Amino acid sequence: MSCPKTEHLLSRYLAGDMTPLAREELFRHLADCEYCGAEMRGLDSVQRQLGSWNDERVPHWDRGLELFRREHRVPKDHGKLPNLWQWLPTATSIAMLCLLLLNTSLVNSDQGLSVTFGSRLAATEIEAELAGFADAQRAEMQALIARFEQRQDNNNVQLLQAVMEQTQQTTAENLEQIYTYFEQQRLQDLQAMRASYEQLVDSDYETIRSIEQLAQYVSYQGDLR
Amino acid sequence: MSSKDDDEALIAAALNGSTFAWEKLVRRYESRIYNHGLRLMGNPTDAMDLMQEVFLGVYRNLHRFRGDAKFSSWIFRIAHNKAVDLSRRKRLLATQYRNDAAAGSDGLEPIASAHDEPDQQLGIKQRNTRISALLESLPLQQRLIVELKIFQSLTFDEIAQMQEISSNTAKTRFYGALKKLKMKTEETDVLP
Repeated sequence: MSCPKTEHLLSRYLAGDMTPLAREELFRHLADCEYCGAEMRGLDSVQRQLGSWNDERVPHWDRGLELFRREHRVPKDHGKLPNLWQWLPTATSIAMLCLLLLNTSLVNSDQGLSVTFGSRLAATEIEAELAGFADAQRAEMQALIARFEQRQDNNNVQLLQAVMEQTQQTTAENLEQIYTYFEQQRLQDLQAMRASYEQLVDSDYETIRSIEQLAQYVSYQGDLR
Repeated sequence: MSSKDDDEALIAAALNGSTFAWEKLVRRYESRIYNHGLRLMGNPTDAMDLMQEVFLGVYRNLHRFRGDAKFSSWIFRIAHNKAVDLSRRKRLLATQYRNDAAAGSDGLEPIASAHDEPDQQLGIKQRNTRISALLESLPLQQRLIVELKIFQSLTFDEIAQMQEISSNTAKTRFYGALKKLKMKTEETDVLP
C-alpha cells in the first residue's frame, strides 16, 4: 500500500519550509494515512540516527605548520612579538598566583606604604618568634659572658698565685743569701778576733819575757855587787 | 568579538606570517573538517588526506578570502570541492574503514582523551561506523547533500548554490537520500 501524496508532503516536511496551513494539512493527512505516518516516523528515525554522530578526535598532525614556516618567509621580529603577547597572560596569572600564595598585602602605616607577605596572624607569630629568639640569644650571650668572666677570674687567681709563689721563693732565697753573708762575716770576725787575741797573747808573752829578762838583769846586777 | 571578526583577525595575522594565528585557525576548524571527511570518505586515512588537502587549499587561497561570506562557509566549500575530487580519484572508497574498524586499527587511531572511557570510545566508534556505512550506501551527490543539510546545517538555498543545482532539486535529492537510508536501516534491522 502506498500514497500518492507521500513524496510531495514529506519532501516539504523535510525541507522545513511549510506554511502553517500546509503543516496543518500534513498532520490532518497523517492522521488518516497510515503509510505516510509510518514513512515520516522512519525518516525522522534516520535523521535522529545520523544526528547521533559523535565527533572523533583528530589524529596528531602538524597542522601545515612546517609548510607555513617554509613557504611563508617571515621576518623574525614579526614572529616573536605575538609570542610575547601570548605569554603575557600566563606570566600575569603566575604573578597573581604567587601574590595570592604569599598572601601579599599593601599596608599604609605612619612610616609610609609597605608590602607585607603572609597574614597578620603570621606576622604576629613571626614577631613573637623573633622576640623569643632575641631573648634566647641575649640569655645565651649573658651566660657566655659570665663563663668568660669566671674563666678570666680563675686565670687571674692562678697568675697571682704563681707570682706570689715566685716572689716568696725569691724572698726566701734572698734571706738565705743574707743569712749566709752574715754567717760569713761572723766567721771572718771570729777569725780576726782570734788573730788579735793571739797577737795580744804573743805581745803579753813578749812583755812577760821582757819583764823576766829585766828581772834577771836586775838580779844579776845585784849579785855582782 | 564575534567568531567572524575573530576569524578575520586570525586570517590577517596569518597572512602577515604569524604561525600562532595560523595554528589557531586550523585548530578551530580541524575537528569539523576531519569528521566531515570521515562521514564523506568513510575511513580515517581518507579523512586525514581530505583534511590536509583542505587546509593546503585554505593556505594557498587565504589571500583571496574577502570576508564577504563567513570563513566557515568558505572553508566548507573548499572541503566540499576537495571531497568531490578525492572521491573521483578514489573509486574504492569505503569498505576499508569498516574492515579496519573491525580489525582494530589502521594506524590513525585518534588519541583518546583522559576522560574518555574505553567503553564509551568503543560505543562512539561503533555508532559512527554504522552511520558511515549507511552514508556509503548513497551516491556521492546525495551523501554530500545529507552532509551539508544534517551535519553542516546549511539551508537548501545554500546547498543549491554550492552544488550549482536548484533548491527544489536539492530538496528532492535530500528526500531521496533519506528514503534510501530508511530502507537500508530497515534491511539492516531485518537481517541478523
